[in-house]
Amino acid sequence: MRARRFLIRVWALAHKESLHIRRDPLTLYLGLLLPLIMALLFGFGISFDIDHIPLAVADLDRSPQSRALVQDFVAAQEFEYRADLLDPDRAIRLMASDRATAVLTIPQGYARSLDRGETAVVGLQIDASDPNTAQQALARADIMAQVATARIAAEAGLLEKGSGGLPLSARTWTRFNPAARSALFLVPGVTAYVLALVAVLLTSLAVAREWERGSMEQLFATPVGRLEIVIGKLLPYLAMGCVQVLLVMTASAWVFDLPFRGSLVLLAFASLLFMLGMLGQGLLISVITRNQMVATQTSMLSAMLPSMLLSGFMFPIDNMPLFLRVISHLVPARYYIAILRGVLLKGNGVAELWGQVAMLALFALVMIAVSTVRFTRKLA
Amino acid sequence: MTAPAAIVVQDLTRRFGTFTAVDRVGFEVGRGEIFGYLGANGAGKSTTIRMLCGLLAPTEGDAIVAGHRISTSPEQVKRSIGYMSQRFSLYPELTVRHNLEFFGGAYGMSGSSLRQGIASVLEQVDLVSQVDQSTGQLPGGMRQRVALACAILHKPGIIFLDEPTAGVDPVARRRFWALIRSLAASGTVFVTTHYMDEAEYCDRVGLMVAGRLPALDTPAGLKTRFVPGRIWVVRGPGLRGEDARARLLALPGAVEVQTLGAGLRVRVAAQAPTDAAAIQAALSGPVSIDEDEATLEDVFLAVVDANAQAAGASRAFGGAT
Amino acid sequence: MAATPATPGQPAIQIRDLVRRFGDLTALHGISLDVHPGEIYGLVGPDGAGKTTTIRIIAGLMDADQGSVVVLGLAPDDPRVRESVGMMPQRYSLYGDLSVGENLDFFRQLFCLPRAQARQRIQRLLALTRLSPFVDRRADDLSGGMYKKLALACALLHEPRVLLLDEPTNGVDPVSRRELWTLLDEFVAEGMAVLVSTPYMDEAERCHRVGLLHCGRLIAQGVPATLVHDLDHPVFVVEGGDRAVLQELVEAAPEVQAASPAGARLRVVVKPGATAALRERLAGVDAHLEPTRASFEDVFVARIGALEEAAA
Repeated sequence: MRARRFLIRVWALAHKESLHIRRDPLTLYLGLLLPLIMALLFGFGISFDIDHIPLAVADLDRSPQSRALVQDFVAAQEFEYRADLLDPDRAIRLMASDRATAVLTIPQGYARSLDRGETAVVGLQIDASDPNTAQQALARADIMAQVATARIAAEAGLLEKGSGGLPLSARTWTRFNPAARSALFLVPGVTAYVLALVAVLLTSLAVAREWERGSMEQLFATPVGRLEIVIGKLLPYLAMGCVQVLLVMTASAWVFDLPFRGSLVLLAFASLLFMLGMLGQGLLISVITRNQMVATQTSMLSAMLPSMLLSGFMFPIDNMPLFLRVISHLVPARYYIAILRGVLLKGNGVAELWGQVAMLALFALVMIAVSTVRFTRKLA
Repeated sequence: MTAPAAIVVQDLTRRFGTFTAVDRVGFEVGRGEIFGYLGANGAGKSTTIRMLCGLLAPTEGDAIVAGHRISTSPEQVKRSIGYMSQRFSLYPELTVRHNLEFFGGAYGMSGSSLRQGIASVLEQVDLVSQVDQSTGQLPGGMRQRVALACAILHKPGIIFLDEPTAGVDPVARRRFWALIRSLAASGTVFVTTHYMDEAEYCDRVGLMVAGRLPALDTPAGLKTRFVPGRIWVVRGPGLRGEDARARLLALPGAVEVQTLGAGLRVRVAAQAPTDAAAIQAALSGPVSIDEDEATLEDVFLAVVDANAQAAGASRAFGGAT
Repeated sequence: MAATPATPGQPAIQIRDLVRRFGDLTALHGISLDVHPGEIYGLVGPDGAGKTTTIRIIAGLMDADQGSVVVLGLAPDDPRVRESVGMMPQRYSLYGDLSVGENLDFFRQLFCLPRAQARQRIQRLLALTRLSPFVDRRADDLSGGMYKKLALACALLHEPRVLLLDEPTNGVDPVSRRELWTLLDEFVAEGMAVLVSTPYMDEAERCHRVGLLHCGRLIAQGVPATLVHDLDHPVFVVEGGDRAVLQELVEAAPEVQAASPAGARLRVVVKPGATAALRERLAGVDAHLEPTRASFEDVFVARIGALEEAAA
């Protein structure tokens, strides 16, 4: 009998909430459209793949071979030819004025060295004021140099000698993300970030609105219990969250060619737990603040920043100072991103990820429990 | 009226789309008069006031307020009136003086005229000693008087008071009305209120129903016309239930019976023979019978009823706003 | 399921020495009152007198700092009490984006009323409140009076034995106001205990008993007709004389407890035993006193005046 009443009330609250959601364009936008837009924007926008690095060339050799090397650098459009320098000393000024990020210097006698079979030395200077770009430029330059070396070797007929290889043995592999496309690396992070933000916002607004409008007073005057309110509030947004996850994943899979290598069941379960945790966090915020404006700001601060900065989305956790590393253990996005990367890119399963799943479950449980306890049925 | 009226309203009409909020309303308010304007929510009361204050253009008809036509010179109208509402936007964190300075400035007052104006208005509303207190800390009745002071600072000839005393305690309310009385000595007061007993303080009362103004008279005149006859209040045990009610309604000339706590209030038509003795006779058991006076609430209900009957009684009460 | 069996003669609400503080401010200074089944008890007072706080404590939405509250024999925040108490808060507290029907249905489910049984009640309440034609209208689109009636219907849905109404008629026009009172009368006749707060003094006489609340204290309590009848301050209308002169004279007169306009005339509440002195004073300006019926507001004004004098 009591269980039946419990279910009736939870259903009544959930149904009522779903009516609010359906009638409020803002909630629908916030809940469904915004995550999709954000995921795509982030996917494209924060792509760490850097193209068109401005390149200045100081070609002191001025030979067909030196021109071929420059061609190798700019052919893939990763470097963009911007300026020709006769004086290599101007390189530093060019970089200081942001007109070039990289300067390739080909010394006089480059062609001669090649012809003689000697090692030809070229110089590449890179503006490292933006370390990320510098890293990438360096990596690209490395690849370009290899491409050039292979071409030169081929032209010189080294391959035909059948000695089984290039004179250079520097070969690199990139695992899991063979094209080293950062989209693949970023999409899990973006997904976690967007879902976290939206989920926390949705519930925090939903409960705070009830305080602000005065309907909480009417609600408290009925026999409804606090756990019923908590669950009744969570359910519709959880359903909405599931739709969000599906939407974002599907769109990402389609737009960014996201591979699904691991267990989809595990992924779905982890997503559910993650959403529940974030919705619970929103609930806790609004239970404490009772005010939409404060709830929004608290949600932003408590969900947006950690999910972006401390989750391994933007910065590798291993490189963080110890203090932040410890805090990052409290950020559910950290575990969710690990699970997403594991399932999507590495084909991991429960065996590798159970720890992360357990942490998500714990977080959700704590949030909902604390919300319920803090949810006093009193106005003041 | 020998002196030109303070407000002359002629065939004032305002439509919103197909809905006629105010329908050919006409009246005059004399100088020095306290004019009460009543009506149900959505009867067109606020629309009328907004037009008279120059905030909303009429669709048809016109009104002259303080000598200016609202259709052609709404700005002059706004400058020559004072307006105060229940939701009057005082700044609670500012002192009384700073509020007055702000609103005086909004009406283009400055320098010594502003200072003198503030001094005289503070005297008028009896807030001289509270001038440096922050407005939000004052009790409701005093805040109301600060709001009034802000509205009359620029010495308008006409003041519009929109539910000025909502929620204020009766002592403060009586004081406020005494103040309004003294204001009317030098100007005209146009007031709306939900307190029917407060409408009694007005010289004349207009009652809006469904966009029209079917009743306009002194409070006493309205009662005589719309609630004629006598009213008796019967109290005593055994009045509960439909039986006593039915017996009272069966008396000759009985118009209506209302429940009043443990008692019943019965209205009897003017020429009917029913008196206290007849009521006593109709009821068994000991009862006390007192004669009661009609209230403006009775008038209000009678006017609305008459209007509903005239309109075919199809319009639900409190319907579309 | 629903609470305790009511003992005959036992009050449905019993409050003793209720004290509630908000920080430095004491909102209630020891309130005691009883509300019996079949009775409307009116808590009459201006804003800030403590009406809402009292009602919220009875509804179990706030705790008292001192004193006791017993509702239907139980503590107010006992879940069993909630099954039998209906509450209509002062603030807009329904869901504006839900229709009239959806709001009713939501509260029906919260009280776990079976659909079939509830349908009849809902039909009856809709008919009584004349909201039937507006079942599909959103609550936000209702007029003030209609909204209040819907809130009342939601509070009555589970046929509570105790009904708490916080300023149900505030801002409501006289037509809807009388409808609300007629509705209340109907339910009280069925034995409901009703506690209603109002800032309108003229509504006091619609209650079986009233308490006058002023600054967190009940300054008078009793049957409204009796309170008016027992008023020891005579009430008069001042006839004749020059109005401006009179106004000044009356305001300064020590015999006058309170003066207020009555149309073009002045109405005065005179301190006990001071009538003769006032008559003499007025004779000097060619005015005299005509007795008039005391109103409930006069009772309030007289009591506040007496309290202020006692304090001074």
